[in-house]
Amino acid sequence: MCGISGVVGLKDISNALFETIRNLEYRGYDSCGVALLNKNSIVVKKNVGGVEEFYRKENVLRHKSSIGIAHTRWATHGRVTRENTHPHQSCDGKFAVVHNGIISNYRALKESLVRLGHRFESETDTEVIPHLLEENHRKLNNVEAAFVKTLCELEGTFAIAFVSTYHPGQIFCAKRESPLMLGIGDEIKFVGSDFNSFIDYTKNAVIIDDGEYAIVSRDSYMVKNYLTREEVAKPITKIEWDAETSKKGGFPHYMLKEIHEQPQTVTNALDVEDAVLDKVVEGIAQSGQGHLVGVGTTYYVAQFGQYMISSLAGQSLFAVSSDEFAALSNVGRDSFVLALSQSGETYDTLTAVKHAKSRGARTAAVVNVMGSSLSRLADNVVLQGSGPEICVISTKAALAQMVILVRIGLKLALRKNAMTAAAFDRSMSVLRDLPGIIQAVLNERSGFIHRIAHEYFKIKHWLYLGRGVYYPIALESALKMKEVAYVHAEGMPGGFLKHGTLAMIDKDIYSIVFIPPREEKALYEATLHSVEEIRARSGFVLGIHFDERGKNKNLFSEELILPNVSPLIAPLLQLVISQLFAYFTATSLKRDIDKPRSLAKSVTVG
Amino acid sequence: MKAVILAAGKGSKLTPFSMTRPIPMVRVAGKYLFDNALDMLNKAGINDIFVVVGHRKEKLIQRIGEHLNDGLSVHYYEQKKAGGIGDAILQVRDKVLPSEYFLLIYGDTVTSANIFSKIQQSFHLFKSAVASICLPPSNAMFGNVFLNPQMKITRIIEKPKGDELGNYVLSGVYILPGSFFQLLDKHKKSMENALMELVEKEGLRASMWEDEWLDIVYPWQILTANRMIMNSWEQSSIAKTAVLEANVTIQGTVRIEEDVLIKAGAVLEGPCSIGKGCYIGNNSLIRSYTSLGNRCSVGYGVELKNCVVLDNTRIGRLSFIGDSVLGEDVDIGAGTMTVNRALDWKPISVKNGRRKYETGMVKLGAFVGDDVVIGAGNTIQPGAVVPPGRVFPACYTIKSE
Repeated sequence: MCGISGVVGLKDISNALFETIRNLEYRGYDSCGVALLNKNSIVVKKNVGGVEEFYRKENVLRHKSSIGIAHTRWATHGRVTRENTHPHQSCDGKFAVVHNGIISNYRALKESLVRLGHRFESETDTEVIPHLLEENHRKLNNVEAAFVKTLCELEGTFAIAFVSTYHPGQIFCAKRESPLMLGIGDEIKFVGSDFNSFIDYTKNAVIIDDGEYAIVSRDSYMVKNYLTREEVAKPITKIEWDAETSKKGGFPHYMLKEIHEQPQTVTNALDVEDAVLDKVVEGIAQSGQGHLVGVGTTYYVAQFGQYMISSLAGQSLFAVSSDEFAALSNVGRDSFVLALSQSGETYDTLTAVKHAKSRGARTAAVVNVMGSSLSRLADNVVLQGSGPEICVISTKAALAQMVILVRIGLKLALRKNAMTAAAFDRSMSVLRDLPGIIQAVLNERSGFIHRIAHEYFKIKHWLYLGRGVYYPIALESALKMKEVAYVHAEGMPGGFLKHGTLAMIDKDIYSIVFIPPREEKALYEATLHSVEEIRARSGFVLGIHFDERGKNKNLFSEELILPNVSPLIAPLLQLVISQLFAYFTATSLKRDIDKPRSLAKSVTVG
Repeated sequence: MKAVILAAGKGSKLTPFSMTRPIPMVRVAGKYLFDNALDMLNKAGINDIFVVVGHRKEKLIQRIGEHLNDGLSVHYYEQKKAGGIGDAILQVRDKVLPSEYFLLIYGDTVTSANIFSKIQQSFHLFKSAVASICLPPSNAMFGNVFLNPQMKITRIIEKPKGDELGNYVLSGVYILPGSFFQLLDKHKKSMENALMELVEKEGLRASMWEDEWLDIVYPWQILTANRMIMNSWEQSSIAKTAVLEANVTIQGTVRIEEDVLIKAGAVLEGPCSIGKGCYIGNNSLIRSYTSLGNRCSVGYGVELKNCVVLDNTRIGRLSFIGDSVLGEDVDIGAGTMTVNRALDWKPISVKNGRRKYETGMVKLGAFVGDDVVIGAGNTIQPGAVVPPGRVFPACYTIKSE
């Protein structure tokens, strides 16, 4: 078992050759070698070891060439030594051969070749091939004819590729039982044991069948049967392949990848240095009026922060949508403005911060992209460190910002003596548990969320209801649904129901209710009351709650149950659930997940 | 890369159809599951294929022979007696070297797109053992796979207790190292335990499959698989040699193969598939999700709806076959009705062998095995399972046995 590859192109292909053979390493790797054609000579490099090790040791990449073949070996005949490593050459050095398979009549062939004066350097079966080629070429004076004659003399199995100084622009190859295919690119062609070798360059493959050989040059290829010598018309197989898969880390979409990265991004948000946050906390504490600004998702993050800071530290901040900031907010010298933006390039938010600065307000920003306009504009910057967020729809960056706002709330509470140091430490340790809990929820609930999304994806109208801090969660969750699934979803405080909204409840409008943990007694009961109001009108309710199964029998039409956690992190966990719910609804509707219509990653226009 | 397709299993819950064929030789949407798999493998750039055969191997071996004539490299190995998945895999251990990775496929799964391409991409990315995972469409859980954000499988629970867990399950497609055979030896041929060790020692990555996926276990799932594949069709095709007489109406996507004769006045509502050499009588109504095998004959005024009919079956005039599966060489007399719902609209249960299964389907007809002969004027009850070779006189009500 070995892997062979070859590349012929216009310019230097030594790097491409390295990648093709490295991609075949899974077929075996005790030694490795390459042959590069350089003007009228063949440079052969080989040694024991894995591909990367060999390339480093022999400094192979410094040899430039437009044509070469390579081999990764897993010994079957002969020990693992440098001599036994492919490529093997003929006595005159004009042929270099790589081979995968077993030549069963190699002893007889070797004996007769030795009698003719050929000198063998290795113990391998393969080495008979270059010597046979040399011998046959001497008689026939034609490389192709010599190749065909050689193939007919070989018994056993093979995929062979060779280069020759007689035809410095061509790779010759042939197959019997061992796998071989060609990769067809513009101005570049590949030979490989399978398409893994060249898939990064081309998806067009020609699969060579038993009894066929091929002559490949950078701009053409020809496949013939070596028994009939007739040309065979070969169809090009288009390998079904998504070039982005590797970037997505194996996930089907960036959105799901980023949802699954949240345990890490939350950890990173918790690792943001205290000193950085303390400056922001100081700014809020010393200001006459604090403002939280963001737009779209970050506006809902700002609202979440407003509730959190109010309940933890007893200080009211205004959450304002950036685009309305100039119209709504009276900012002055004693104001403090904390802006939220993933990209740090959001036009509306930049405008709001500039407006605040022009009025002499102090500013700070939580951003994900280092060096962005907002990070340069604001007086204090908190880098959330969530890593690149590629999906246009924000998931991990928003959740990380929420965690940072919880930390700011806790610090502010401590500073204002609204919380004891012991309570602060307890809360921080609750936050520290969040990444593990998110991981567990992703691993134990995805199937339930998928099942429910798959069942109700045709529903056209959703109401998302929450009370208290669960209200911004409802808003953000509904936005996810709108953005990625293009489904009408409306976030609303539970209390709004009896002020007119209940009139809408019928069989076509479905509700999702974010139920707080039971220890938030008043909020919990008020929210359940909202559920009852909907159920009394035969409305559908999907409850996302922390109670045990069957606790509220028949109250919900469907339920998603989360592990019981502290109210400090409960809303964050529910957001993760609704991110997945929006995602699976969108996949059921076959939406373009990572690039939904009418949305750009950073909205840099006004 | 070499592919190993496991096709030796008995599929005992798929009676009556598995009594006369291995599961990959079930034809849905006009194509054997086996052919479907070969097609996808080819598009995934894999043409070195080993099939482990066992139960009712003759049909599959014959099909493999036909593929060899088309130039495909397919070999088969026999699992002499039923010994589970681990034992089936071990049949090909000589064909795979210890240093080599191979693609392992359970022959009874169906997907709406190319799952083999997808797992190869994951393999290309991780360069290590990979298992395809998916979220099953229903509450029926098959297992539970725990992941970390790097797609590494951290734990597998094959049969979770209770209903507190709901997550990704193994979907029966793997890329495994050649050393896996030794793990199977070590764990007494237990696939489950060998996988566990792979997870703990070398590591197993996941390849997330998001398109539709189905493991065909019960006969009514043949209808689900048929629907799944037909829904992925984007184009119609009508063979050159097919003859459509006057006033034949075609709507939606249809596949009509060579030498089909459709008589005047017939209506075809796609998606539906009509196999080679079929005869469709005058004024027949072929409704959506109907799949007719090769050389079937459909008499005058017959209505077919959401049904899979295998090769050489004849359906007599003025019959109705709905939400049903008919085997090969079935002979249905004139005026036969499959009743496809209960009077109270309750989901249909199916009695298959000794067990009764809740299908959850409100509309479900009958499952008629190969070579059954049904006299004219019969009624077949909802959810009836008819074993191969039975003969029923005319004017008789057929129930499950």
